[in-house]
Amino acid sequence: MLESLQFIYAPQIVNGLSIGVAVVLMALGLTIIFGLLDVINMSHGEFYAAGAFISVSLMTMGISFWFCLLLVPLLLIPIGFAMERLLIQKVFHYKDRHILTLLLTFGVAMVLEDAYKIIWGANPIKPSAPISGASELLGVMFPNYRLFLMGFGALLIFSVWILIYKTQFGAIVRASAYDKDMSSSLGIPVMRVYALTFAFGVALAGLAGVLLAPIYSVFPTMGRDFILMAFSVVIVGGLGSIKGALIAGILLTQLQSISSLYISPVWSDPLVFTVMVLVLMFKPTGLYGGMKNA
Amino acid sequence: MKKQFETRKIALAVALCLGAPLASAQSSPIKIGVVTPLSGTYTPIGEQVKMGLDLAAKEINAAGGINGRKVNLIYEDEEANPAVATQKAEKLFQVEKVDFLTGTVNSGSTLAVGQVAERNNRLMATSVSFADSITGDKCSPNVFRVNARAGMQSAALAAWVEKEIPKANIFFIGPDYEMGRSTVSAFKRASTEKGGKAVGEVFAPLDNKDYSPYFGQVRSAKPNVIYTSVAGNDTVRLFSQMGEYGLNKGVTIVGASGTVTSQNIGAIGKSANGFVTGVGYSPKLDIPANKKFVADFQKAYNKLPDLYGADSYGLLYFYKAAVEKAKSTETDKVRTAMDDLSWQTPQGTKKMRAGDHQAMQDMFAVRVENGEFNIVGRVPSDQAIGPDVCTRF
Amino acid sequence: MHNPQVKAIRIIELLLLSSALVLFVVGSILEDTFFLRLATEALIFGGLAMSVDLLLGIVGLLSLGQAFYFGFGAYLSALVLKEISPSFFLAIGIVTLSSIVLGWIASFIALRSKGVYFALITFGLAQVAAKIVYNTRSLGASDGMMGVPILQIWTPFGSIDTSHPGAFFLITLLTIGVLYAVLKYFLTTPMGSIWHAIRCNEDRLAYVGYKSKGPKQVAFILAAVVAAVSGALYPMLRGFVSPELMFFSVSGNAVVTVVLGGVGTLIGPILGSVLLTLFKSIIGTWTVHHHIIIGIVFVVIVVSAPKGLAGLFAKYLGKKHPNKGGE
Repeated sequence: MLESLQFIYAPQIVNGLSIGVAVVLMALGLTIIFGLLDVINMSHGEFYAAGAFISVSLMTMGISFWFCLLLVPLLLIPIGFAMERLLIQKVFHYKDRHILTLLLTFGVAMVLEDAYKIIWGANPIKPSAPISGASELLGVMFPNYRLFLMGFGALLIFSVWILIYKTQFGAIVRASAYDKDMSSSLGIPVMRVYALTFAFGVALAGLAGVLLAPIYSVFPTMGRDFILMAFSVVIVGGLGSIKGALIAGILLTQLQSISSLYISPVWSDPLVFTVMVLVLMFKPTGLYGGMKNA
Repeated sequence: MKKQFETRKIALAVALCLGAPLASAQSSPIKIGVVTPLSGTYTPIGEQVKMGLDLAAKEINAAGGINGRKVNLIYEDEEANPAVATQKAEKLFQVEKVDFLTGTVNSGSTLAVGQVAERNNRLMATSVSFADSITGDKCSPNVFRVNARAGMQSAALAAWVEKEIPKANIFFIGPDYEMGRSTVSAFKRASTEKGGKAVGEVFAPLDNKDYSPYFGQVRSAKPNVIYTSVAGNDTVRLFSQMGEYGLNKGVTIVGASGTVTSQNIGAIGKSANGFVTGVGYSPKLDIPANKKFVADFQKAYNKLPDLYGADSYGLLYFYKAAVEKAKSTETDKVRTAMDDLSWQTPQGTKKMRAGDHQAMQDMFAVRVENGEFNIVGRVPSDQAIGPDVCTRF
Repeated sequence: MHNPQVKAIRIIELLLLSSALVLFVVGSILEDTFFLRLATEALIFGGLAMSVDLLLGIVGLLSLGQAFYFGFGAYLSALVLKEISPSFFLAIGIVTLSSIVLGWIASFIALRSKGVYFALITFGLAQVAAKIVYNTRSLGASDGMMGVPILQIWTPFGSIDTSHPGAFFLITLLTIGVLYAVLKYFLTTPMGSIWHAIRCNEDRLAYVGYKSKGPKQVAFILAAVVAAVSGALYPMLRGFVSPELMFFSVSGNAVVTVVLGGVGTLIGPILGSVLLTLFKSIIGTWTVHHHIIIGIVFVVIVVSAPKGLAGLFAKYLGKKHPNKGGE
């Protein structure tokens, strides 16, 4: 019994955690954009890809991986800002803006995916992991880079949480989400805050792209890898809730990881979807409601 | 307001002009339609197909064409979707009036386009799809295959495994779709017949990104051989993750021919070393025809050819040989000429078996070392081909 | 005809109908196959887009998974034609009845939510269904099913062969036309007004004494039927079905079509489908990068003309006769 716990379940759990951290990083940006701007960003996965592609190019130019971790999100912020300002805000005043922003970001995703193919080619590229080797954990070998990922990812998630809930910037962001007009009358440049928040969300996705490139490789259609899982996590966790994204992310990836021991792997995605649908049917606001309830 | 109306009229007029017979039939080009994925996940394969066909067309035209007529290749993007492929195929047959069609990559598209070819009374051939069914239970009198099918690849690989790792314990990892499953079952059959033992299998979804949840299963089965039929990006991920977790220590990794090709070998890097597959082609084949082909290919495209490029190149020469033998491009005459036709390719001589329209060729066991595909075994064509199970004609 | 939108719709209807008839006549004389079949395909996918528009433009629900019913109709039709009997009416009949049941069952899952959540549930449903079909051997798995036979359709004018491109084009035109007429009829009933009201302000509906659940369910089932019947025509045209018919790209394309043509007009989706099919076919031949071009066009339309082409046309008509607005 104990042996099966150590050699079968423990590795699955730890594996699930490393995947979970990746998924939560993706879901974080999405839930912030979703929760604050009420925008379903169908192009979120493409910003994840953008981060990966840009980091590949930077590394080819000789810039170290660690520096890329800093540089890539900084490069994505102005792009995200521009997209929000120039495209999303254009359709914002329509009554059916939910659908329009969904369609808009869907179109942007189409364009970006093809753009990557044109610029970088269709073949996969794989940057090598900055940390090599493996360590023994509970009798099973784990790659050191994944262990680093888990730690760094946890740190990142914690920092985002602190930023949103414990800083003035975070307070401004939350206030703008809660009551746009009131915040605006208090002197907050709401439109600029919106654009900055969007930029922040997609920069997070890009950062995830840099971090995961050595594990999952880089190719033009990679934007679709995480998008489904990320949306499920956001829904189950609750729109706009960082705590929800974290808990739902870990839960759902653990579900996938452990269930793969019993059911054919093909059904693990449908399983996650079923959970998402059930949550939507019985508790549509998700586990932790919205940022407005935070 | 009349825009709609005009567009239709113009479109029809254009169609008429394209379809109108040219003045002198003597020098009119032979049109060959190519429906291949030029966007989407399978783009790398479509690109190799295009490169191989273009190179062959250039050479053939420089040498005077086929029966004195130039070859004209017309490309359409099928996006690896049978619904799009059939539409484009019909366009090529009906509007462009192509004499022959090729280029489809996935078996679904090949089968669907084959049906379109039958209904248009024209011939088509594939140089990529390796599902056994295409020249097996779903064979068609209008469909030919010049590349090796899954059964042939398994035969070559199983022979090598039997020799090098007798009585192996084999674990199977495959992508969960028709091709992934059938290649696994083909190799399972071939290897267990030769004394191997199947100790487990896992089918992950296509485009799966993380294989680490399945490594526990693999480890506990204690295989000394792992067979996989993943391809493209999935291979990059599976192999590098196996390397990360040390799963490839003490294990020989073998797989389908599409698993490691020149498109993904760069990304896989070191983790591909030692990988063995059964395949119909390697750029390192020591045949004069191949050496010339590889050199020409590299000069033209600055890339090495892979099996898709080489087979597509060979396909055009197959058609040339058939049309020259039939002295016509008429479907029935060419079909008769293609039966039991032998022709020269970079892989040596291939012969098109009449019974099921499957090309016979020598098969090779190839091992990847430092980015090169080295030949480590060979099975002659008659042993590799397998039985003819096509009953439709 | 005071309302420019109504006028625009009328004109577009006439335009499409007349160009369809011209295409039929000219195409039959010239013995064309490709363009007639392409137009048939445009109509079939236009039917799917209509079902998206019914939910989106009329009731106000964005469905990202109509391809589920479309693919369901296609597979069921293929099965009926191959295994039971190559009869057009049998296939359409069975598909209509089954899709009513399917839509009814699905409505219990999907209609529990609205807005963004509804979109995501419909999306998830379609993904799961597509995955199931993709992995089911008896349905041909990832290769799909080939060999759907050519049908002889009985009509009062004689028997029509589905392999005859012109004749089948007319059959499809008729079928989609019937679906369109049925939807338009519903719009004139009190149910239709409730649908519009739901789209405008669902919460307030209860205050004026109407329940929204029943009408929403009817619309949902109706959309399922329209999508499924359109899908049933596909194997008759192309002779095969494959899981790609249920993929998200099909649902996504339908939405693009609706936005392009004009959301809420029902004829807009047909117009959009015709234009998009033509566009893709032409652009696809010139360049490999057709996705990026269509994507850019789409983004531009969403940002600058969210009411689509029908909306632009209506605006143009409104400007031309500004005084007629008050009649």
